[in-house]
Amino acid sequence: MELQLALALPVHNSVKGFDLNDGDIESKEPVASQLWSYGGSLESKKCLKNKRSSEEAFGKMGGGVPQTFPLMVWSGQPNEEDDRKGQNRKTSSIVNKNEVEENHAVGWPPIKSWMKKQLHQQQQQGGRVKNDGVAERSGGRNSLYVKVKMEGVAIARKIDLRLFHSYQALTNTLISMFDKEQKFDKNGVSYTLTYQDKEGDWLLAGDVPWQTFIESVQRLGIVRNGG
Amino acid sequence: MKMMMGSSFPEEVLEHVFSFIERDKDRNAISTVCQSWYEIERWSRRRVFVGNCYAVSPLILIKRFPDVRCLELKGKPHFADFNLVPEGWGAYVSPWIAAASTAYPWLEEIRLKRMVISDDSLELISKSFKNFKVLVLSSCEGFSTEGLAAIAANCRNLRELDLRESEVEDLNQSSGHWLSHFPDNYTSLVSLNIACLNSEVSFTALERLVGRCPNLRTLRLNRAVPLDRLAILLRRAPQLVELGTGEASDLRPDVFSNLSGAFSGCKELKSLSGFWDVAPGYLPVVYPICPRLTSLNLSYAATIQSSDLIKLVSQCHNLQKLWVLDYIEDLGLEALAASCKDLRELRVFPSEPFGAEPNVLLTEQGLVSVSEGCPKLHSVLYFCRQMSNDALRTIARNRPNMTRFRLCIIEPRTPDYLNHQSLDVGFGAIVEHCKDLRRLSLSGLLTDRVFEYIGTYGKKLEMLSVAFAGDSDLGLHHVLSGCENLRKLEIRDCPFGDKALLANAAKLETMRSLWMSSCSVSFGACKLLGQKMPRLNVEVIDERGPPGSRPESCPVEKLYIYRTISGQRFDMPGFVWTKDENSALGLS
Repeated sequence: MELQLALALPVHNSVKGFDLNDGDIESKEPVASQLWSYGGSLESKKCLKNKRSSEEAFGKMGGGVPQTFPLMVWSGQPNEEDDRKGQNRKTSSIVNKNEVEENHAVGWPPIKSWMKKQLHQQQQQGGRVKNDGVAERSGGRNSLYVKVKMEGVAIARKIDLRLFHSYQALTNTLISMFDKEQKFDKNGVSYTLTYQDKEGDWLLAGDVPWQTFIESVQRLGIVRNGG
Repeated sequence: MKMMMGSSFPEEVLEHVFSFIERDKDRNAISTVCQSWYEIERWSRRRVFVGNCYAVSPLILIKRFPDVRCLELKGKPHFADFNLVPEGWGAYVSPWIAAASTAYPWLEEIRLKRMVISDDSLELISKSFKNFKVLVLSSCEGFSTEGLAAIAANCRNLRELDLRESEVEDLNQSSGHWLSHFPDNYTSLVSLNIACLNSEVSFTALERLVGRCPNLRTLRLNRAVPLDRLAILLRRAPQLVELGTGEASDLRPDVFSNLSGAFSGCKELKSLSGFWDVAPGYLPVVYPICPRLTSLNLSYAATIQSSDLIKLVSQCHNLQKLWVLDYIEDLGLEALAASCKDLRELRVFPSEPFGAEPNVLLTEQGLVSVSEGCPKLHSVLYFCRQMSNDALRTIARNRPNMTRFRLCIIEPRTPDYLNHQSLDVGFGAIVEHCKDLRRLSLSGLLTDRVFEYIGTYGKKLEMLSVAFAGDSDLGLHHVLSGCENLRKLEIRDCPFGDKALLANAAKLETMRSLWMSSCSVSFGACKLLGQKMPRLNVEVIDERGPPGSRPESCPVEKLYIYRTISGQRFDMPGFVWTKDENSALGLS
């Protein structure tokens, strides 16, 4: 797919001999030794020797691997004499900590900012549940999310109450939602739908008209009736 | 032999033969055969893809290929998608458009990804190319509806306007009216994607446009287009093949029946997306077309829960591509595996990526099910919160045909939840069994060992993304020395440093780019690399100030290395530093 820059463009004709994948490093010794002199004042000869030993070190997995052209000799034992490496790592983790917002590193998990915005927008528009799990209402919203917790089920769900117009419809949906984890009718166990109102009290659902319920509900709970 | 072939055919014949060769790779190969093939090829090249807009300059491109019709450019590094590239980094397309406007009067297509394009550039496009047909702006920014209005007003032959995931500004009150700039006698639209627009669009203009373009096949609306209006559009364009709906929140019986009728009239529909805030009660309107669907993107439908998703996907027997939020849960993926035997691509996104606790029952099991049930599955992007080596091994064995495998376990450095070990062997199994793997993203607890597996087995790997992994330089060394076909490598928060980088310096010239952020690379090593490897641009991104002012051993914030034949770029912002940064101080 990509424009093969290294191969095709005429500008490279002058440096054709500089073949990056050529395994024969020694033929490029003038360049090579100059570059190798970094990383310790090693003689080029010694470098070549080291080079070989590193090949041996990686020989077991290196079969057919093209020889890359090093600026520094790979010693085969990373970080061995590198005391400052440890410090580096510390520094970088400090940097990371500075970047962390609410325990999250910037850009992690890797979700496109565009998609994040979409989700965010929906949560804004939908008056979504905040972290405290309490429903948030704002004027003119067309969805109302509350958390539903079922006794004995570890994961709480969320449900948009605006999608329902009766207790019956809500109950049916909740049954199918939690059906997978708990068989509702098994062993004669039954459940009761409760809700938490604005004052924080837990009440039985169904005792007040649907519209009144919708206006005050903060969370839903499905409680097991001993049996 | 080469000489004979070159001389025995007249140029016209060769040119005709070459016209059947479309793949860039093949054309590149042709151009290296001999001087005359090189010449014929360059004059007849109509399509050019530049994977990095800084790897070559517009002038070099134009000199080499004088008659290009389709230009595709990519700009910022991939990690820009996740906000890791600071604002103002670059990837401005204006020099390209300016050069093309004089050199390529017959340019028909421009496709840009992660680039900054101004309204002025859009206007220049609209006025410079007489036969302009396709404009695709994928994850681009810098322009507004004003620029789009210029395109609409002037590009009489426009077939495709696709704004993908671009960020479009609304400059004025009448921004929604840019659609009305398409002239009344304009009828050539085939594909329109405006899903990313935040503003309302003028519905009357949209309706008239859709109504007068008989060849319209793709229409992806933004969320501002309500569902009741969608029925009107569908009745005007029953020939649609791909549809993205707008918002669909309030369930109203009259809208439902109206929409049902409209959908049943669309006999060609194969792809659906959108469904922002859709009321689950609306989903039955698409049931009749489900058996025909090959592509379904529900990643914005944050209101559909598992049971509704199960009902939906169970009817999509020909589905090839599914993007969905994790509300589908393990059970939904099980249903998918049972019903959709033709599935090739699956993406599962997190509905609450920043929540500390799981909000859905989505585990490794869902992916295992799909890998078992869908023999053609070869591309996966999967966000979840737990994974095991066993599961990864099973997936690898089930799907050796996998070419793209991106797994994101949301909490960094999460071990195998069964035995609390690293996931090295699991990912090792993926690279070992999936021989054609081209793209891989790693996550979870990983040591240098996983990179040894990758270097040993990942021979066709082209792009690798790494985060929070490895123990030492050895990890990076394994990858750079082992992965022969690696073109793009992006790394964040890994203890990889100078040694691995410098020891594999030449490897970098064979790759398109390397990104490293929050790693352990020193500025000294970056400068050395930049000096010794003249065809690499080594750019340090550091918003804290000149990296040279800190101790040499202090690691750089972000590092972006790419090969180039046009030298240093001219539009570097103040927070990008190169080998020349310290020249005034006499340090380099």
